Amino acid sequence: MFRKLARFLPFILAVAQAEGASPSEYEVKAAFIHNFAKFVQWPMSSGSNTLRLCIVGDNPFANALEVIRDQAIDGKHWEFQFLRTPQNLDRCQVAFISVSETGKLNAIVESLGGKPVLTIGDGEGFAERGLIINFYLENQKVRFEINPNAARRAGLAISSQLLKLARIVTVGEER
Amino acid sequence: MVLLLAFASGAAAEASSGIEPEDLARLPIEELMNIEVSTASRFTQKTSEAPSATSIITAADIKAYGYRTLADVLRSVRGFYTSYDRNYEYLGVRGFNRPGDYLSRILLLVDGYRVNETFYDAAAIGTDFFLDVDLIDRVEIVRGPGSSVYGSNAFFGVINVITKRGKDYDGVEASGELAGFGTDKERLTIGRQQKNGLEWMVSGTRYDRKGPNLYYPQFDSPANPHGIAQGLDYDRNHSVYGKASYGGFTLVGAYSDRIKGIPTASYGTVFNDPRSLTTESQTMLDLKYYRAMGENLDVSTHAYYGGYFYHGIYPYTQSVNKDQSWAQWWGMDFKAAGHYGRHRLVLGGEYQDNFRQQLNNSDLAPWVVYTDIRRNSFRYGFYAQDEIGLVHGLLLNAGLRFDHYSTSGDALNPRLGLIWNPWENTALKLLYGTAFRAPNLYELNTAVGSAGKPSPGLKPEKITSYEFIVEHYFQPDFRLTLDLYRNEIGSLIDLSTDPADGKQIFINRRGLVETEGAELELERQWRGGGRLRASYAWQNTRDEGSGKLLSNSPVHMAKLNLSQPVWEEKLRAGLELQYTDSRKTLKGETTGGYLLTNLTLLSGQLVPGLEISASLYNLFDRHYALPVGEELVQDAIIQDGRSFRIKWVYRF
Repeated sequence: MFRKLARFLPFILAVAQAEGASPSEYEVKAAFIHNFAKFVQWPMSSGSNTLRLCIVGDNPFANALEVIRDQAIDGKHWEFQFLRTPQNLDRCQVAFISVSETGKLNAIVESLGGKPVLTIGDGEGFAERGLIINFYLENQKVRFEINPNAARRAGLAISSQLLKLARIVTVGEER
Repeated sequence: MVLLLAFASGAAAEASSGIEPEDLARLPIEELMNIEVSTASRFTQKTSEAPSATSIITAADIKAYGYRTLADVLRSVRGFYTSYDRNYEYLGVRGFNRPGDYLSRILLLVDGYRVNETFYDAAAIGTDFFLDVDLIDRVEIVRGPGSSVYGSNAFFGVINVITKRGKDYDGVEASGELAGFGTDKERLTIGRQQKNGLEWMVSGTRYDRKGPNLYYPQFDSPANPHGIAQGLDYDRNHSVYGKASYGGFTLVGAYSDRIKGIPTASYGTVFNDPRSLTTESQTMLDLKYYRAMGENLDVSTHAYYGGYFYHGIYPYTQSVNKDQSWAQWWGMDFKAAGHYGRHRLVLGGEYQDNFRQQLNNSDLAPWVVYTDIRRNSFRYGFYAQDEIGLVHGLLLNAGLRFDHYSTSGDALNPRLGLIWNPWENTALKLLYGTAFRAPNLYELNTAVGSAGKPSPGLKPEKITSYEFIVEHYFQPDFRLTLDLYRNEIGSLIDLSTDPADGKQIFINRRGLVETEGAELELERQWRGGGRLRASYAWQNTRDEGSGKLLSNSPVHMAKLNLSQPVWEEKLRAGLELQYTDSRKTLKGETTGGYLLTNLTLLSGQLVPGLEISASLYNLFDRHYALPVGEELVQDAIIQDGRSFRIKWVYRF
């Protein structure tokens, strides 16, 4: 039986190597992140010539970040940092919070306090729980929601152009 | 082979879509919002921090491989196997599946609701499972003793079914199936998320299988011409399911009934008697409340009701026997999960009142009552679990649960897990745990027929398990898992004969049953939507006393699941190979090992909203038989040969 299976395997693996056509979810999400950064104004310039995007927790992007690697906003190129644990998030301009961090979300929101970090969630209810932007899928299309209170807390100004495309989440009182 | 080549060439012939990945970043958001993405390319959940070996089967897998029942889903998972005696599906886990074990050694949860009923403690995974598999979002299979959190029945593991939600439908979905052996199935589901925050869904399913005529040489005699059971493998099911959530509240209700003909003349009944059947119905109502209290504390609570009713008709030459049981119960549980510094603490408790546990066994004509038991019982339990980040990359997970059963007393079950991430992409897990299964009402009060008597002194069964797991991610979507374990099962509840009066009685067996096992699994997903899962499992389950291999326990199993778009997003193929080693039967014979091949072709949306799939099960028409319990004269039951299914799903 195993000999038989071994004969099948090369074919199977060859089939599996072939790649499909439509862009992957995370390629599109990477492009979204790039766009978000264009529509958000940070309170002060960091002085560095890069934009630091931190991927917190499980990295779902694989190679998808290649989509924006060479892109720049106002002359600043992206720099990627992968954080296994949510520490020193205040050094990131943009923090992508993976769904793997569901259990740590409250701690993340708390640790950031009012620091000017654009938090982007990738799990259900992440905006309700205090992140600024959160991705969701609708009919295989990427959508996003914005929690304006969370943006205000972080001192980030979000363009109305972006707000009108988002689902607005209103929970999370101003403190 | 020809088929696989076709498969391969189909994949190679893919055309590219309009958008190149490099252009994506230049598109405005409005256009990005219009791109349909392939979402397959990720693991649903990172499992490297879970204190157990977990497998996840998603709705996408259920579609891609044409799974029809939960048994189909579980069979595809490493270390799991099933047997079917043409009445019920039985589940074997890591080399263990006792005859007559109606799935009481695994805990089945649907969105946190305990499916195991309270008479036999059985969970249904075949056509008698109350939920249509189309309504499943994902199935999480957690291996190893789970009693430190879940209490009784979480013996070999916990199967957690998570259902789809109203917003997953956002409209109406209708589905129809036609399949081999005269099978048809229809489903209608409506779901919405309303602007005011109310989210709801309702769904109804009807299933009807006429089934083949079946030949049993054991019954080939002049009285039973040719030993053929005619039209007795029928299987009919109805189920309804509804769910509504608003704010932190969720209310779920479900009802299902199934009627199954018995073609096998089980329990010595008359062969080919059209009256032979069993029916089961299940009712559930579950109210949940979830709330995030402040920044660091989540609380949830359930209040639920469950109902189960079974009756079986067993025709004998002199009389017709009717076997009935009822179980009704209600319960409440609560859970609080908090995050404090390096600690992740979970506390919980539950109470369940089994207010009706009834069994009646009688002959209809002439009227003779053999057994009439009416009982009630209760249980409660509470538990605590802490996950502590010791030093960077090292997690300690410790849990303890106390349970009290009004029938069998107290049980205390610990669990310890050490999870170490020596490198970014590698997790090592060292796990220890115990679990128990309290004797069920059936075992406490009766043994088969009038030849038995109650067994009041029964103690719970116990398992102690040691496990070592290595998980390595070559890439975020390419995982290799190696799993070594040892299970020691003691006080196993078994049917025996009391030497004093020759009556059948359930006893706690002396000595251990031991399993040593090794599993290797590879999972990979590709950007283009290809998914691969391949596993090999070796398990050696022996009775300590005799040193003999247990019956219905395959030593080797190998599985392969491959799903791949073969023509852009228009057509996906799902190939499944399952090799199961020979198993010993109760009479000491062996059933041969077999390789099953299933193939499913799934269309994309050809017309907006319409998906069609075509499946062939047991593609090479492999002839195989599976061991069954002692209530059957047949030592093993031959399974279905090649069969097809055509299915359409339309959403509007």
